[in-house]
Amino acid sequence: MQMFFADLVVRTDEARRAFETHPVLLDGVAHGMTVERYRRLLLELYHVVWHFNPISAAAASRMADSHKQVRYFLYEHMHEESGHEEWVRNDLQAVGVEPEQTIAHLPSPFTRALVGYNYWAADRSHPASVLGMLYTLEVIASVYGGPFAAAIKESLLLEGERGVSFINSHATMDAAHMADLRKVLNTLRDEAAHEAVVESALVNFHHFTRIIEAV
Amino acid sequence: MSIPTRTLTGLPQLLSRPYKYLRLEWTSELGMLRVRTCVKPIQCYSLAGLTEMQRVLDDIAENPGLVRHLVLSSDVTGVFNFGGDLALFVLLVRAQDIDSLKMYGRRCIDLVWWLEHAARRGVHTTVLVQGDTLGGGLESVLPFHKVIFERSAQAGFPEVLFNLFPGMGAWPLTIRKAGFAVANDMVLTGRLFTAEQLLRRSLVDVVVEDGDGEEAIVEVVRSVDPRLRGTLAALTAQRMTAPITYETLQTTVDMWAETALTLTTRDLRLMERLARAQARKAGGGDEGAVEEIKRIELDTAWGELRSGNTGWGEERGTGITAWGALS
Repeated sequence: MQMFFADLVVRTDEARRAFETHPVLLDGVAHGMTVERYRRLLLELYHVVWHFNPISAAAASRMADSHKQVRYFLYEHMHEESGHEEWVRNDLQAVGVEPEQTIAHLPSPFTRALVGYNYWAADRSHPASVLGMLYTLEVIASVYGGPFAAAIKESLLLEGERGVSFINSHATMDAAHMADLRKVLNTLRDEAAHEAVVESALVNFHHFTRIIEAV
Repeated sequence: MSIPTRTLTGLPQLLSRPYKYLRLEWTSELGMLRVRTCVKPIQCYSLAGLTEMQRVLDDIAENPGLVRHLVLSSDVTGVFNFGGDLALFVLLVRAQDIDSLKMYGRRCIDLVWWLEHAARRGVHTTVLVQGDTLGGGLESVLPFHKVIFERSAQAGFPEVLFNLFPGMGAWPLTIRKAGFAVANDMVLTGRLFTAEQLLRRSLVDVVVEDGDGEEAIVEVVRSVDPRLRGTLAALTAQRMTAPITYETLQTTVDMWAETALTLTTRDLRLMERLARAQARKAGGGDEGAVEEIKRIELDTAWGELRSGNTGWGEERGTGITAWGALS
């Protein structure tokens, strides 16, 4: 029998490729971005990252005891992700956006749709949905983060980690996270949780593609 | 050659499926099914592309006698196929997901296996390569009965550059067509070869000028069709004489998946460089993965010449360059 992680990869592959092959992302990976667009992207990312832990907490609080391994996984993950919005804020500052501007930024409707969906899914659909969000964000970070950060550094002539610390570090860090996520996903046995994860990953890829498209 | 009545019912089914990455054309006079791949914008063997291709082959198998000639080509200018889905590989390697890597590899060898036995199914296969074809792209070409390259097309197995090897039939298919020495040269060096060089090594049957590929297809099919039964019997016997077993293909895929799990960050970064180059080409750039491979070879050679390392920390590169081969 195929493990659930493999099933998830196959069932969401088209959504991943739709993200990967979107002209804006292709161009970003190939040639980088103007500083204005990169600022807009980081401003949206800030809000995605800022809501990551509250969404995970909402899901953990509703997770049934039968899925306590997922709850523990979420606790650890939240701990590791704590404060990462600061990294985005620092990167924004490095490219000319002051912290108060970042905090005051009103996210785009696409970012609100992504964040809103994830709160709703954790609260009203199935708490395991949060793993679909994690899968999407970690695929984006670990698979595309490295080449994208390299392209941004080249196009904006940024030195070292300056301005790309969040994206670059997550490209490496999420590599280890991907293996942990695979293990926890493969512990899920019930159909309802499987469906919730797949649906959530599909929705997250869709919304994230729209976010990139709009910046 | 007349077509049994029952197989005619299979034709609408075969042609009417809503493919996203394939374009099918039917020439009834020749019983020729043209399959044009268009996994846009990055032409590679994606999971969905593989599934669609397998569906076409299954439909052909379910309607024996309907398709006499299967012809494959690419709808993407300048690229036949970049091979494996590099982003998917990076994802699966980072997730340390050997099951999915093996599953991907098996889907690839299932296509190879079908093509290997196409003659037994009464189908003569022809492939036209009009642009770059790398790794799995080249592996998918080799089981075809007739391989046509346009002159500017280049091909190779670059996997060794990022510490992997082509695991979906490259070894047995290359050895059978060109011998052990050529297979060694191609797989172990990662070099790229021109159409003319591949012709000299018997991996390509016909090289035509750029733009003449379509005409060459018609010529091949029209010349084979009157002698089809004898040709297919001979090709079946040929493959029985030098057989490739499914077990070998499967064991090699498993080994490929195990090797993929050992890739380091440096190896994955090289893979990402190729993926970025593919993105540049897909975006209309002049240079793509082929040029990036040449740059990687050059970087490696320079790095080793100048400092004894490759600029990747403690990691050492493959130290390959063979510029004469491309001249």
